[in-house]
Amino acid sequence: MNIFIQIQRTGNLIMSGIFSTIIDLLLNSLVLSGVFLIVAIGLNIIYGLSRIMNMGHGALYAVGAYIGYSLVAAGVNYFAAILITPLLVGGIGLLIERSIILPMRKRSMVYTLILTYGLMFFLDGMIKLIWGNTPRFVELPAFMQGMISIFGTQYPVYRLMTIFLIAAIMIGLMLLLNKTKAGIIMRAASTIPEMVSCLGVNMGYVHMGAFMLGCAMAGAAGIIAGPLTTIDPLMGGEMLISSFVVVVIGGLGSLRGAVIAAILIGFVQTFTEFFITDLAMVIVYIMMAVILAFMPRGLLGEGRFE
Amino acid sequence: MNSTVSIPDISNRFFLLKCFMVILVLVFLGLFPFVSDNRFYISLITEMMIYGLLAMSLDVLLGYTGLLSFMHNTYMGICAYAVGLFLIHISPESLWLACIAGIVFTSLVALPVGWVQVRTGGLAFALLTLAFGMMFYTIVWKWYALTGGDDGLMGMPNPDITLFGWHLGNSGNPTTIYLFTLIIVTICFFLTRRIINSPFGAVLEAIRENEDRAAFIGINVRRYKLLGWMLACILASIAGALFILYKGYIGPSTMSAFAGAGVLMMVLLGGMGSLWGAFAGAVIFIYIQDYISTMTEHWEIFLGLFVIFLVLFLPTGFAGLGDYFKRFRKA
Repeated sequence: MNIFIQIQRTGNLIMSGIFSTIIDLLLNSLVLSGVFLIVAIGLNIIYGLSRIMNMGHGALYAVGAYIGYSLVAAGVNYFAAILITPLLVGGIGLLIERSIILPMRKRSMVYTLILTYGLMFFLDGMIKLIWGNTPRFVELPAFMQGMISIFGTQYPVYRLMTIFLIAAIMIGLMLLLNKTKAGIIMRAASTIPEMVSCLGVNMGYVHMGAFMLGCAMAGAAGIIAGPLTTIDPLMGGEMLISSFVVVVIGGLGSLRGAVIAAILIGFVQTFTEFFITDLAMVIVYIMMAVILAFMPRGLLGEGRFE
Repeated sequence: MNSTVSIPDISNRFFLLKCFMVILVLVFLGLFPFVSDNRFYISLITEMMIYGLLAMSLDVLLGYTGLLSFMHNTYMGICAYAVGLFLIHISPESLWLACIAGIVFTSLVALPVGWVQVRTGGLAFALLTLAFGMMFYTIVWKWYALTGGDDGLMGMPNPDITLFGWHLGNSGNPTTIYLFTLIIVTICFFLTRRIINSPFGAVLEAIRENEDRAAFIGINVRRYKLLGWMLACILASIAGALFILYKGYIGPSTMSAFAGAGVLMMVLLGGMGSLWGAFAGAVIFIYIQDYISTMTEHWEIFLGLFVIFLVLFLPTGFAGLGDYFKRFRKA
């Protein structure tokens, strides 16, 4: 997986001593966990509110990265791009929701799974049609390209920035869910949708909002993770699988479970990448299999939306 | 086997007509290579039959047991690699030994995977198949020394095919492979049909309809799900053995999620829960794929639109038996 290989190749890991290697690995794990977290939370919000598992989520993440690349390449300020991209991807989400997800509301879950699987292929094909197969690189502003010294370890500034950005997004999401009326409606609708509907809330709008929010988070993760790696059409599929692993381990629809699972997977993956490069993903899958063999519903069980 | 489970009545109204149709199709397929010299169609029909077998095995899982697998082609790929490696490295002559080794190896791989899989429910099951499929795909892709990585497995020998003491010919010859595939696929089809119409098949359908009720009447749900999973994987591995004999080559792209979607489409096209429907779906899908991929390279967009269209407007497929997913409706 290209993010992680690139993370490994930055800096002179072995040369700079054990202590700084460990710091480097820890920070890399945090970055990776953060990216997983944002994508997986987006999936979980959609699943928790509408019981739809969006297989096109990885493709939307890739779309976010590509839109971010195009905006930066067109001369938009990077921070403006970080704000615009989630809005655009959320808009795409709105189109998708209104056109193909809405007629599927009453159907069984198998059909929505297969439908969004088709959506994934469509989006991947569109990416290849518009941006082509060649890998792209996001041009960062000059001050973010340098290195910064943390306890004597040289670490790229942008990676630190990423950690803060992800923390900001998570705090924003927490405030949204806990302090605003929309958040209260969403939390209530994830537990007893019938009751919320009886209280006069249009559930159609709730589903729509949840889908848009989830898509916007995928887009945000895309633009944040874009400069960490090369942007190519395969990045969506890889991220889709990783975020599924996170979601399944944490428990479907459980936000806290996703946080725990994302940190777990991020750390395990970074450390195994470092020690045994080729088999890292295999170890992650085996770990998932072991966890699921003993806790079939994931770490925190299903559908806890808080 | 639980003695209280009764065998479902098979409608005998069109029995003679059905027999006649089946015999007609088989005779037509059997005589085809002797009538026509067109190698392209012989290869195409061979591929359709192999993918039909694979789609049928997925249908045992999806249409009869109600478990969705996104990466069923992985097990076909594993068996194809096993057969190919056996023929290359151990013995280039003994075809049957290689096939049996491949099927046993695939079962040994599928057993622990299935053991973990059946512990989870509908949606988590589907996501897990994707993760496990990607795992095997990554292994095959990265293990360059054994599998040839991206280049695929090269240098397959062409063993002679003997069937029940009858020497069919060399496997390098398309007609031989065609006849061999036809015979094996026909045997598999009737065998699967027999299994599905047995009390065992009835138990699988009971699990699909309502897992809790099936558990209440004393069925060990996990064990039967695992048996269904193993049946599907063994059928898929037979398809894999045929596939490598037919192509003489196997690459990781056969095991990718993209190919997995194709197999899912065949089942959807044909209609879930109908064995012959899976073959019909495979025939239509491979024909369309062959047709579109010669016209445009952006085949993914059309596949995606095709899937979306199918699910939105034609969820029951051609066999019209798709309304079997009441179990999922509840979830």
